[in-house]
Amino acid sequence: MLRHLRLYLHFLRFSFSRAMEFRLDFFFRVVMDAAFYAVQIAFFGVIYRHTVLLGGWNHDQALVFVCGFFLIDALHMTVFANNLWWLPIFVNKGDLDYYLVRPVSPLFFLSLRDFAANSFLNLLLAGALLAWSLLRLPQHLEPGAILLYLALLVNGAFLYYLVHLAFLIPVFWLHSARGLGDAFYTLEKYAEKPDRIYSGWLRRLLVSVMPFSLIASFPAGLLLEGLQVKVLLHVLGVTALAFLVVRAFFRLALRTYSSASS
Amino acid sequence: MIHVQGLSKEFRVHKKQEGLLGSLRSLVRRQSVVKQAVKAATFHVGEGEIVGLVGANGAGKTTLVKMLAGIIHPSGGDARVLGHRPWERARDFQRGIALIMGQKAQLWWDLPAADCFLLLKEIYQIPEERYRQTLAFLTETLQVKGELNIQIRRLSLGERMKMELIAALLHQPRVVFLDEPTIGLDLSAQRSIREFLLGYREEHRPAMILTSHYMEDIERLCERILIIREGELVFDGPLAEVMRTHARHKVISLQLKPGASPVSLKRLLGVGLDVELLEEGPERIRIQAPRDEVPNLAGRLVSELQVHDLAVEEMDIGTVIEGLLHARGASAAPSAEAGQGAA
Repeated sequence: MLRHLRLYLHFLRFSFSRAMEFRLDFFFRVVMDAAFYAVQIAFFGVIYRHTVLLGGWNHDQALVFVCGFFLIDALHMTVFANNLWWLPIFVNKGDLDYYLVRPVSPLFFLSLRDFAANSFLNLLLAGALLAWSLLRLPQHLEPGAILLYLALLVNGAFLYYLVHLAFLIPVFWLHSARGLGDAFYTLEKYAEKPDRIYSGWLRRLLVSVMPFSLIASFPAGLLLEGLQVKVLLHVLGVTALAFLVVRAFFRLALRTYSSASS
Repeated sequence: MIHVQGLSKEFRVHKKQEGLLGSLRSLVRRQSVVKQAVKAATFHVGEGEIVGLVGANGAGKTTLVKMLAGIIHPSGGDARVLGHRPWERARDFQRGIALIMGQKAQLWWDLPAADCFLLLKEIYQIPEERYRQTLAFLTETLQVKGELNIQIRRLSLGERMKMELIAALLHQPRVVFLDEPTIGLDLSAQRSIREFLLGYREEHRPAMILTSHYMEDIERLCERILIIREGELVFDGPLAEVMRTHARHKVISLQLKPGASPVSLKRLLGVGLDVELLEEGPERIRIQAPRDEVPNLAGRLVSELQVHDLAVEEMDIGTVIEGLLHARGASAAPSAEAGQGAA
């Protein structure tokens, strides 16, 4: 564990020193993500002009959920997204070769090596927006509940990464990740809405095999509606199971890796 | 250190007919062919040995190396490297091997080599003292100490390759796979890398498998070679053995005395012999003749021509191996077992 932490510190150091070289890209990302945040907040603002409650939440509560999702998105963009973006390219160009000969988990290396330092400011921005949404909430929140919420948002970012990775692993067989990649970004929209607006089989899917609702919506529910141990265990259990399944899927995929001609 | 028994690899390759219609057809009904990249390879490599793996493009060299480095899974057979099945990717196995691919960089493009080496130190858990000593030894031997803090992308190709070598050898591997380590380098860089590898072998005694299209790499570095043709090992033995068994001809070079009277070479060379006139000038003649015929033919030439100097040369090893690589059919070369080399 300590060794992996030390390795990750190296990745961080490398990523920051590289990011500083490309200043325009650095500021471009900040502007892009700030625009995305503004659009999302405005979207919910428009909805709440026509309704008082959405999925059982009022506007202030929905903002906590939305800003929680921003933090998850920023975490994903900063920690995992670049790495996942490279994965299909590495598989098809045979660039996994060196990752497979090192005495380190290739999944760890491939998932974390590229820390998007140029998204780091967005992480701060998302954190600030979350703090703003929590401060404007009329209901009193215990510090412990807020800490648990933050921990569940980190868990949500990890779950988001796992689901994203599950959609990319088939590239080992299909050699094109575009279709499944697009499918992920379409389905990912379910994570951006409160879970209560869905019902029936769709809701069951979103809390189990395609756990988009567990990413941001369930954590917000646990904060805003009080801790329910069963729900908490469900979120953590699905995340742990998703990790084991995705890791096994990745290992299976590595067996079919054919590299590329020299 | 490396034991390979009947190792095979098949790839299923999709076939698509040309044009839009072909694309539509392949969407509905996909055809594929099975390509046998490596066919039941069997060989052993011992400590301190550098074995050259020689073959034409697409012969299966890199596939074989990648199976032994644990990158791809075989379709059949077995192999043990340092006592491990490579594709099981045991951490002890990975700590004991190194892979260098001349066509693929392992170092981070935007970072100085010194930073990349620190990461590798962490990955291989190299103790501080040993890391410093090894790095000093490698950078001094390869003469790149002054380039350690320059971004990789700003280095010349030769310097980059030297950094790649250092990256691969920092953890002092016991088995080293070198896939085209001198590709694209100028002659001086090629020479310095060859000298370095020989020195490294003397010092550390690793088992090395080297693939290269440069015959000079093979001649200078390898006492033993494996020749692979269309996935099949067709020769395994000392380099000298290739010459003995496959260079069936020698070249006779004659320097004639100035003003020597012309002679009918066709008559001299005789009819029916497998003799080829490579060069015919007023003062110089070169003839390729079967090895067994050389003494008789040379005697005849000396007695009939006004010879100033005569030399009998072995054929160029590259030509001999090229002949082997492109030969077809079972009679072209003995089986791998026939020339089995040292373990």
